[in-house]
Amino acid sequence: MKKNTIIAIFPLILLAAVPLSQSMAATVQEERIDLQMRDIAKTLRCTICQNESIWESQAELAHQMREIIKERLIKGESPDQIRAYFLNRYGDYILLAPQKSGLNWLLWAGPFVLLAGGGLFLYRTLARWVVQAAEEKQEAPPPIDEHLRKRIEAELHSRED
Amino acid sequence: MIKTWHFVLVIIIAGVLSLFYKGLWGDPRAIPTVLIGTQAPIVSGPEVRTGEMISTGRFQGKVILINFWASWCLECRTEHENLLALNRRFGSNPDFVMLGINYQDREEDARQYLQVNGSNFDHVRDLKGMISIDYGVYGVPETFVIDQKGVIRYKYVGPLVGQAYSYLTESVLQPLLERRPFPSS
Repeated sequence: MKKNTIIAIFPLILLAAVPLSQSMAATVQEERIDLQMRDIAKTLRCTICQNESIWESQAELAHQMREIIKERLIKGESPDQIRAYFLNRYGDYILLAPQKSGLNWLLWAGPFVLLAGGGLFLYRTLARWVVQAAEEKQEAPPPIDEHLRKRIEAELHSRED
Repeated sequence: MIKTWHFVLVIIIAGVLSLFYKGLWGDPRAIPTVLIGTQAPIVSGPEVRTGEMISTGRFQGKVILINFWASWCLECRTEHENLLALNRRFGSNPDFVMLGINYQDREEDARQYLQVNGSNFDHVRDLKGMISIDYGVYGVPETFVIDQKGVIRYKYVGPLVGQAYSYLTESVLQPLLERRPFPSS
C-alpha cells in the first residue's frame, strides 16, 4: 500500500520539480547576464557625466544603456560585440580606457617612456655629480696665495712675540 | 656641447607641452562624430500627439532631417521657431521630410510643449532611449541630416540659430535637395 502511494505520488513530485528547476535555471541565467552587464557597463563612459562609467551613473541615459546591454546579452551577443555597438555610435570617447591600437599606444606607453627617460636623466645627472665630487676630493688643495701666506706668517710671528 | 639625447628629450617635452596646450583650448565636452558617412539607423516609434507608429523606413529616397529635443531643454526652445521655419521652407519639397525625436521626456510634457509652441512636422517618442543611443546622442538639441541614400551627412550639436541655421539651410539642405556636391563638414 505504502509503495503504491509513493509510486502514485512520484510523477506529481516530478511535475512540481520541473517548473522549480526551470525557475532556478532562469535565475542563474539572469544573474550571469547581470554580472556580464556590470562588467561591460564598467568599461563604458556615461556620455553626459564627468568621468563616470554607465555602471556608476544614476543618469537616465546610463540606465537606458545598461538596459540595452542586457537586451543584447539576452539576444546572445558577446561583450565585444556590444562594446563595438557603442563604439560605432559614440567613438573612442565611450570607452573609459582607450583601445590599445594605433596612436593610442602613445597614451598607454607614454607615461612609462617618460618615466624611464626621466629616470635615466636623473641617474646620469646624479652619477656625474658623484664623480665630480669624488674627483674634487682627491685633488690637492689649491696653492695658497703668496700675499696671504706672508700675512699668515707675519701674524704667527707676532703671536709668538 | 648638446648631446643627442638632450635634443631628443627637449623634443619629447616640447611635444607633450604642445599636446597639453592644444588640450587646454579644446572643448572637453566635445565628442567627435563617428556617424558621418555611415548608414543611418532606422527610426521607429509612436508619434507624440497621435500615437501612430512612424518609421523612417517609409521615407527612403528622401532627405531626412532628424532633430532630437525635450520639453525640459531650454536650448530647444530657442531653436523651435527656426525648425518651424525650416519645414515651412523645405516641407513642400516631396524629397524632404522632417522628424522630431522626443528625448528622455514625459509624454504629457512633450505634448504640452508642442501644443504651446506649435509644430508642423511629426515627432517620435524615444521610449527606451534606443533611438538616441543608435544615433550616438548625448544631449539635446542635436540635429542630423540624412541624404537620399540613407547616409548621415551632417550632425549639429546645439540650437539651430544664427550661423548654424544659415549653414544648415544654405550649405547642407539646399545642395542635398538639388543633388549638388555637398561640402565636407
